Amino acid sequence: MISIESSIILLKDVSKKYSTDNVVFSGIDLEIEKGEFVFLTGPSGAGKSTMLRILFCAERPTSGEVWVDGVTLSSLSNAQVPYLRRKIGVIFQDFKLLSNYTIFDNVALSLEVIGLGKKQAEQRVMQMLEGVGLAGKTSHYPLQLSGGEQQRVAIARAVVNRPSIILADEPTGNLDLQRTEEVIMLMEELNARGATIIFATHDDRLFENTHRRVIRLFNGRIRI
Amino acid sequence: MTLAILCRRAFSDLRQNFCAQLITTMVVSLSILIFAFFTLLYFNLQHFVDRFGAELGLVVFLSEDTPKDRIPSLYQKLTGLSEVEKVTYISSEEAFGRLEKFLKDEKEVLEGVDPRFLPPSFEIQVNRAMFQLKRIKQLAGEINKWPEVSKVQFGQEWIDRLYIFSGLVRTIVAITGLLLLFTAAFVVTNTIKLTVYARQEELKIIRLVGATNIFIQGPFLVEAFLQGLMGSSLALGVVFACFRFFQGIEAKSELLRGVNICFIPWQYTVAIIASSVLLCVLGTALAMRRSLRL
Ligand SMILES: Nc1ncnc2c1ncn2[C@@H]1O[C@H](COP(=O)(O)OP(=O)(O)OP(=O)(O)O)[C@@H](O)[C@H]1O
Ligand SMILES: [Mg+2]
Repeated sequence: MISIESSIILLKDVSKKYSTDNVVFSGIDLEIEKGEFVFLTGPSGAGKSTMLRILFCAERPTSGEVWVDGVTLSSLSNAQVPYLRRKIGVIFQDFKLLSNYTIFDNVALSLEVIGLGKKQAEQRVMQMLEGVGLAGKTSHYPLQLSGGEQQRVAIARAVVNRPSIILADEPTGNLDLQRTEEVIMLMEELNARGATIIFATHDDRLFENTHRRVIRLFNGRIRI
Repeated sequence: MTLAILCRRAFSDLRQNFCAQLITTMVVSLSILIFAFFTLLYFNLQHFVDRFGAELGLVVFLSEDTPKDRIPSLYQKLTGLSEVEKVTYISSEEAFGRLEKFLKDEKEVLEGVDPRFLPPSFEIQVNRAMFQLKRIKQLAGEINKWPEVSKVQFGQEWIDRLYIFSGLVRTIVAITGLLLLFTAAFVVTNTIKLTVYARQEELKIIRLVGATNIFIQGPFLVEAFLQGLMGSSLALGVVFACFRFFQGIEAKSELLRGVNICFIPWQYTVAIIASSVLLCVLGTALAMRRSLRL
């Protein structure tokens, strides 16, 4: 049974098509509990990123209804979208770092938008960057970093404001084994502190040995 | 707190995109400059025609047989008219004296001539605030009907021509100014659009991270405000400097003395600055709308 109370994310009969011959998925029903850590997998082009984009309102579904943290997304006005996004940390597949901002400023932006002062922000940003092993590169610009380093900046920016939902879109795509481990550990830790996590990846090895739920997208449907 | 963040962002933004900001400000400045020069021209033309027309005044000639004791009551009657600022009586003798003065060395030609052969007259200065060609004409017509008056003279043809000509020039200047205004508005909004579009990716990302539209737009609007203010002030400053320069030339030159050029009335100066600020701010807000959806 689907219940709005215990679930933090709820999709009912959701479909997304860009045109009549470009249907990403249709008839998706999905429920994710508060505090859950789920993997979202499926082949390239299955619609993982699209589904995440719908959850943080970067895209509207063609039909169906989506609830996030008790909010009906279809009733959300453009002006209300930012307030929803502050509860959601998104690690973008293509990082979406600001190339004319330093690493520090990129991460600090997440705190700035919620109105945090520079002093408070500074400490948290530095802690966060230390956590992902980039303390020495705070004044660099994104293009001066390697792909893996950029990805870790993207992770730091997504989680620095302690969001209750984390949408990670291939957050380990550019990382070596050790860094991948570290990122998974970081996610586990955030999850242990109460964050709900959706981890999109097409790398089966990441969830082979876990007890976590795995949501598989295939041919526009969910396969359990 | 939020205001501090906004100011800090606006400031760091200004520093980072200094070149683009400077170019936009220069574009604003140049556009306003061209428009302001035309405005200056327009007001001076109007000023000049009004002054010139008012200075011409009327001359009322009396019939030679007008008895001397009628003069005071005629004088009273003329000064009583609301359009009239000042009346001077010129007797036949005075007129003769002027003629003599005018002829200087050749005044011998007047020898033997009766000093009263010139008719007495009233010189009338028209109230400048009241000055309107139509009313002067009417006035002249009315005075002409008085029995003692033989002729009312004023530079009618002259003024007529001047008016038609200046009306034409004024229309041309006004239309050109209006076109310039549209061009300026177009150029300014497009320059702003380009600078906003160049940073659209950045704006989209900031919005994806959870920034409200005010947070994103704030710095841009502050910058637009400054651009509009500084651009137009600079332009008006240049126009004012040129105005002062012309004034200097005018003071030294015999020929130009009395042209008395005027600056754009202050209400219009304020209006130009305000419109420039409004244009920049609105242009920015409109250009940004696109990057603030979803
Ligand atoms: N803006 C768009 N316009 C048209 N089609 C789009 C758009 N965005 C995505 N699609 C289509 O939606 C489908 C799903 O894309 P999506 O990025 O969600 O896949 P994915 O599962 O994240 O793939 P990957 O593992 O490669 O990241 C693709 O086939 C793509 O062509
Ligand atoms: Mg993807």
